[in-house]
Amino acid sequence: MYYAYILKELRHHRHRTLVNILGIAVGIALFVSINAVSTAYQQAVSLPFKNLGADLVVQRAEKRAVDSSQAGPSMRGIRLPFSNQLLSSDDLDKLRIIPGIDAMAGSLLLWDFDQGGFRTIMGIDMSQPSLGPVHVKEWLAKGRFPEKKGEVVLEKHYAKFHNTQLGDQFTIGSRSFRVVGLLEIREGAQIASANIYLPLADAQDLMGNESKSVNLVYLRLQNPSRLNQTKTQIMQAMPGISVVSSDAILEVMGGVSRISDQFSLVVSLVALAGAVFLIIKTMLGNLVERSREIGILKAVGWTGGDVQKQLMGEVFIQSMMGGIVGVAAGYLISYLLGYLSIPVTTPWEVNLLPAFAKETGAAAQTIRLPVSFSAGLTAAALALSLLAGGLASYFMGRRMAKMKPADILRRL
Amino acid sequence: MPLIIADNIHKDYQVGDVVVQALQGVGFEIEPASFVSFVGPSGSGKTTLLNLIGCLDKPTAGTLTVAATDIARLDRKESAAFRGSHLGFIFQDFNLLPVLTVYENIEYPLLMVQNVPPAERKERIERLLAAVGMADQKDKYPGQISGGQKQRVAIARALVTHPELVLADEPTANLDSQTAYAVINLMKRMRDELATTFIFSTHDQKIVGEAEVIFRLEDGSIVAKEMKGGASHDESL
Repeated sequence: MYYAYILKELRHHRHRTLVNILGIAVGIALFVSINAVSTAYQQAVSLPFKNLGADLVVQRAEKRAVDSSQAGPSMRGIRLPFSNQLLSSDDLDKLRIIPGIDAMAGSLLLWDFDQGGFRTIMGIDMSQPSLGPVHVKEWLAKGRFPEKKGEVVLEKHYAKFHNTQLGDQFTIGSRSFRVVGLLEIREGAQIASANIYLPLADAQDLMGNESKSVNLVYLRLQNPSRLNQTKTQIMQAMPGISVVSSDAILEVMGGVSRISDQFSLVVSLVALAGAVFLIIKTMLGNLVERSREIGILKAVGWTGGDVQKQLMGEVFIQSMMGGIVGVAAGYLISYLLGYLSIPVTTPWEVNLLPAFAKETGAAAQTIRLPVSFSAGLTAAALALSLLAGGLASYFMGRRMAKMKPADILRRL
Repeated sequence: MPLIIADNIHKDYQVGDVVVQALQGVGFEIEPASFVSFVGPSGSGKTTLLNLIGCLDKPTAGTLTVAATDIARLDRKESAAFRGSHLGFIFQDFNLLPVLTVYENIEYPLLMVQNVPPAERKERIERLLAAVGMADQKDKYPGQISGGQKQRVAIARALVTHPELVLADEPTANLDSQTAYAVINLMKRMRDELATTFIFSTHDQKIVGEAEVIFRLEDGSIVAKEMKGGASHDESL
C-alpha cells in the first residue's frame, strides 16, 4: 500500500473526506448516544433496588385489601403502613428454604401520626451489613450509625425542619432517643427513604411487637438472572405475598422504558445503516470521479488488487476517523443528555409513604441519567464503523473489478 | 528478433446490436530501439492498436507477440505484471496524479509494481528528472507546471521502470506546435540514450515527420509503411 498517496489523496480532497468522515460519525454518534442513554435509563430505573443491594422486596398486603369488612385505618400514633401487615414467622421460615437466596434482611417500617404531623420510621436489621435499608449508612452526612438501642439517625432535611441537632434527644411516641447521626438520602433511594432510622429492636418495641416480626424483607439472589423463577417460587410457596423487583418500576414507568429497552438497538442500527448507505453512495460516486486515476494506475502496472488495497486504505482511515469522532460525539451527546433528570416512579408496593403524602415530591424522585463510558459499546461502535467501511470497500471492489483500463482510457 | 510481431490482428467491439470492426487483419513487425508512429484519422484504429500492444485489451483474433510474450494469452494479473515490467505509457492528457508531486508521480510505478529499493529508486528518479529537465521542479504539483512540463514528467514516469517499449497515444495533441516538437525530440533522445522503443500515435502530419518508421492506418487496416532516417534534435520546451 502506498501510504503517502492515501494521506495526500484524503488531504487533497478535504471536502470529500470530511463528508465521508461526518457520514460515518453521525451514524456512530447516534448509535453510541441512543445505546448509552438507553443503558443509563435502565440503570436509573434499577437504582432504587441497587441502592439496597437487593434483588427482591417481599411483603404481605394489608388485611383490608382482602377483607373489606375490616374497620378503616387509624390515623393516630405509631402504626404499620396502610399497604402491608407483619410477616409471620411462618412466612419467614418459608422464605429461608426457597432455593437460590443468597442473603435475607428484614426491616420494620412504621408510620407515626402525631400532633406535629406525619413521619416514617425505619427499623433496620443491623445483622446484614450490606442488604436492605442499612445501606443508608453510606450516606451519613454527620455522626455515626446507631450501635445500640436508644440511638437514632435522622434524615438531614427532616432534622433541619424540626430544628434537631446531632446529640439532641428526640422523642418518638413516649420514648426518648439520642440523635447520633444525620444522613442525606441519595437520588433513587426512595424505597429506603424514611425520616428516622433506628435499630430494628427499637422499632419493634415502638410497635409493641412481641413476636419481633418485620413487614419488609429484602432478598439478594445467588444468581440475579433467575429472578423471575425465584419470584414465582416465592409466590407459589406463600399465596397472597407481594414480591417486587426493579421490573415493577419498569412497568410503572411504562412506554418510554419499554421503547428504550426494545427499540434502542434497532433505532441506532437503522441510523447506522443510513450512514453506511450514505458513505457507500458517496464512495461509489467518488469511484466514477476517480476512474481516470484507476485507469492510469492499472495502465502503469498496478493490479486490480493493488488499486483496491489503496482505496480500502482510504476507506479504513475515513471509517476509523468517523468512528472515533462518532464515539466522542456520541458520548458528548449522552453526557449532555445525562444532565436531564427523569422522574422514577416507585410502585405502590414499595412506596413508603401513605397516599396523602405521595404527591409531596418525596415519592416521585427525579434521577439524573447515570451515563457512563462503556468499553463494550465503544468497541462495538468502532467495529461497526469498520464494518461500514468494509461494506463500502466491498461494493467499491465489485464496481472496480468491472472497470477495464482500456475502456476507462478510451473514454478519457 | 523483432520486439513486436503482430499477425492478422482483428479487434471487434459490440456497440449495442452492432459489431464495430476496429482492426481488420493488421500485421507488422517492430524492431527494438525504433521510433515508430501510427498515423491516421480519428477512428482509424490507432488507439485500439496501442491498447492491444499495451496489454490493456485483447485482440478478437490473431497473434500479438511483445518482448517474446504472446500477450493475448495473459490473464489480468499477468497483464498487469507485464505492463509494469516491459511497458511504459504516455497519454494525451498527461494523466499525472494531481495529489502527488512531480517526484512522486515518477516514483509510484516503482513502489507498487517493481518494489525497487529506496536508494536505487531515488537514483533512477533523479537521473530521469535531470534527463527531462525537471530536476528543479520536482517538488511542484501537476497543477503548478505547464502542459509541456507535465508531458516531460509523463515521459520520465514511463521510463522509470526501464521498459523495453513506451507507448504514447497522441502525446502532443494538447500541446502547441513548438512544445510538441520538443516533446517528440525528448522522446527520441531518450530512445537514443536508453535504447527503448517508442511508439506514438498522431494525426499531426508535421509531428509524423519525426518518426523513423510510420504505419498509416485507415478504417482498421495498415495501408502504408514508410521508413525514414530522422535525425534527432532538441529544443527547449
